[in-house]
Amino acid sequence: MFKLFKKDLKLFFHDQRSVILTFLLPLILITLFAFAYGGIGGFNGRSEPVALLIADLDQTASSKGFTGSLDSVPEMRTVTSDPEKARELVIKGKYACALIIYRGFQDSIEFGNGTPLELIFDKSREMEIAIIQQNLISALMSFSGEIMVRIRIEKYLQNLFPAMDKSTSDNILRNVVKDDSNAIGIKWTSVVGEKNDTRLGLIQAVAGTAILMLLFSVAGVGTSILEEKENGTINRLLYSPIRGSTILYGKMLFAFYLSILQLTAMFLFAWLAFKMDLSVNIPGLVLMIIATAFAVSSLGIFLAAVAKTRQQAQNLSTIIILVMSAIGGSMIPLFIMPAILQKVALLSVNYWGIQGFYDIFWRGLPLEAILPKILILMSVGIVMTFSSIQLFRKRIMKF
Amino acid sequence: MVQLISVSKSFGNVRALTDVSFSIQKGEIFGILGPNGAGKSTIVNILNTLVRPDKGDVIIDRVNIKNDGETIKLIMGVVPQEIALYEELTAYENLMFWGGLYNIPKAVLIENVNKTLDIVDLSSRRNDKIKTFSGGMKRRINIACSLLHNPKILVLDEPTVGVDPQNRNHIFEVIERLRGEGMTIIYTTHYMEEAERFCDKIAIMDVGRIVALGTLRELRQISDSRDLLTVKLADFNDDTMSVLKSAIPLIRFDSTSGTLEIDCENISNEISGITNHIQNAGGVIERIYTRGTNLESIFLKLTGKKLRD
Repeated sequence: MFKLFKKDLKLFFHDQRSVILTFLLPLILITLFAFAYGGIGGFNGRSEPVALLIADLDQTASSKGFTGSLDSVPEMRTVTSDPEKARELVIKGKYACALIIYRGFQDSIEFGNGTPLELIFDKSREMEIAIIQQNLISALMSFSGEIMVRIRIEKYLQNLFPAMDKSTSDNILRNVVKDDSNAIGIKWTSVVGEKNDTRLGLIQAVAGTAILMLLFSVAGVGTSILEEKENGTINRLLYSPIRGSTILYGKMLFAFYLSILQLTAMFLFAWLAFKMDLSVNIPGLVLMIIATAFAVSSLGIFLAAVAKTRQQAQNLSTIIILVMSAIGGSMIPLFIMPAILQKVALLSVNYWGIQGFYDIFWRGLPLEAILPKILILMSVGIVMTFSSIQLFRKRIMKF
Repeated sequence: MVQLISVSKSFGNVRALTDVSFSIQKGEIFGILGPNGAGKSTIVNILNTLVRPDKGDVIIDRVNIKNDGETIKLIMGVVPQEIALYEELTAYENLMFWGGLYNIPKAVLIENVNKTLDIVDLSSRRNDKIKTFSGGMKRRINIACSLLHNPKILVLDEPTVGVDPQNRNHIFEVIERLRGEGMTIIYTTHYMEEAERFCDKIAIMDVGRIVALGTLRELRQISDSRDLLTVKLADFNDDTMSVLKSAIPLIRFDSTSGTLEIDCENISNEISGITNHIQNAGGVIERIYTRGTNLESIFLKLTGKKLRD
C-alpha cells in the first residue's frame, strides 16, 4: 500500500499541471478573493477612499465649508464638477455618485429649512454608496451642528403646543436630535439602470460567465494548434500548397467564429430563460459581441503561442484565465473590490467586455459611448493576433 | 526526376546535412537508409521546400526548388512518419479534407478518394472514424491522403513503423502497385529488408553524410561485404582443424562451442566444397547456418556501427 502511495505521490509531483492546480492556483485565487472580500491590502485597516463628485452651485462660505468638511473625511475623496458633467460621469460608471449642492444651501442652514442637496448615484455600486451615505450624513450633521434641526423642531413644537413649558420642549429636543436621519434632507436620485428592466445581477451573471467560459473555449482552440504540431497534422498541412500563415489564420477564424457563436448563444439563453431585454441597443450589442469575441479569441491563440508544449499551454491558460477572470469581474463583481484591484482590472479583457455589456444593459448608454470599450477590445485583439503570428512563425512553423 | 547537388544544411551548431548529392530517375524507388539523426527527415523537408538548404541546389522535375516552391508541392506527395490524421473524422472526411488542400475540383476529388480507398483496400471502412482503425489501417489511410492529387513523386517516410505483418504486407502491395504505375518513390527507412525488397537504388546515410550510394550489388562491392557460413560440429579431432586450415585459409574456429565460421564470396557456389573438406578432415556436421550479405552488414562495415544504434 505504501509503495502505491509513494508511486502516486511521485507521479503527482511530476505532473506540473496537477501541482499548479492543486496549490498555486488556489493560493492566487484566495489572495484575490481576500483582497475583494476581506479588505486585505488596505493599509492600517483602511481601504482606498471612495471618490465623490461635488457640484457646488451655491458657492457660499457654508457650501465651501461643507465641501471642505467632506474632503477631510478619510473614507472619501472629493472631485469638483458641474451638475451635468457629474450626472454624465455617474451614468458612464466613472464615479459611483455625485453630490449637487443647490443654491440656497447657506440660507437653508441659517433659517433651518431643508438642505437643498441631491445625491445622484449608480445603484449597482452599493458598497461605495453605503460608505458615502454614512460619511455624508455624518459630515453634514457635524457641519451644520444641531442648529438647523433644533430650530425646526422648536418652531414645530411652538406652533403645535404653544402652552408647553421649556423643560418639556428641551427634553423632547434632546431625544429627537439624537436621530440624525430624520433631520437631514438629502434627495437621493438613482440615475443608472432606471430605463430598463434587466436586473444588475443578471447582467453580471451573463456577461461575467460568458466571457469566463469563452476564454476556456478559445484556449482549447489555441491548444489544439500545439496538439496538431505534436501529432504531425500541422507538418502535413505544411507539405500541402497552403501557406503557414494560412494555417494560423484558419485557427483564428475558427476561434473567432466559435466565440461569436458562444456569446450569442449565452445572450439568447438569457433572453429566453430570464427575459433579458436584448433590444435595448442592438447595434451596440452586436459590436460588443464581435469585439469581445475578437479580443478573447486572439488572447486564447496568444496563450498557445507563448507555450512550447500542449501541457504548458494548458497550465498557462488555466492560470491566466482564472486570475484574469477573478480580477476582471467575471467571478466577483468589480464594485465590491478595493480600488486598487479595480485599477488592476483594467489589464483584463474580462473587465472591458463586462463593462461594455454593463454600458448596454445597465447604464443604457448609446453606441458612441460604448465605442471606446469596443476600440480597446479590438486593439487587444490586433496586438494579440500580431504577437501570435510572430511567435507561431518562430515556434510552430519551425523545422 | 530529382537531383540534389552538394546540399548542406545546419540547424544552429548542428550540422544536419553535409555535401549530399544524388539523383533519382523517373519511376525509380530510391531508398534512404540510416539510423535516427542521419539526416533522412531533413532531406524530406528540403524536398518539400519546408527547409531551405544553406548550400547546394535541389532540382525536381526540372524546377529548382529555390525558384518555384509552390509547383514542387503540387508534384510531391509526402507520407509523414507520424499518423497525421484527424481521429474524430471518418476516413472519407479525412481524405476529402487533405485532398481539398490541393484545389482539386470536387467531382475529381471524390473520384480520387474512391480510387485511393480502393488502392489501400479500405473502401468498406470509408465511413468509420479513424479512431476506430488499427495502427496498420491508419498507416494505409496515411498513405492514401498523399496520393489524392496524383503526385509525380511520392515520399514515404518510414511508412511501416509499428505496423503488424498483415498490414505491412498491405502497405507493400500498395507500394508495388504504385511502382507498377511508374511513380517515382523516395523511401526512407531503417528496415534493411524493406530497402532490399523495393529500392532500385539506396543511399546509406550517417550523421548527415551519404556514406554509400548505389544498387544493392554496387553497395556490396563498395563495402567488400561477404556472406557468412557457420557450421556447428557434433564431433571433431585434433587433426580436423589443422587439415581444414590448410584447405580453407579464411576459416575461424571456436573450440569451446565447436563452431566454424567461413567468409564466402558466394555461399551457394562454395557450400558443397566446404562441407566436403570438413567431412574429409574427420568433422561431423551437426548444423549449418548461412547469412548472406545484407544492408545491415554493409552499414556495419561502412560506419562501424549497427543501424539501430
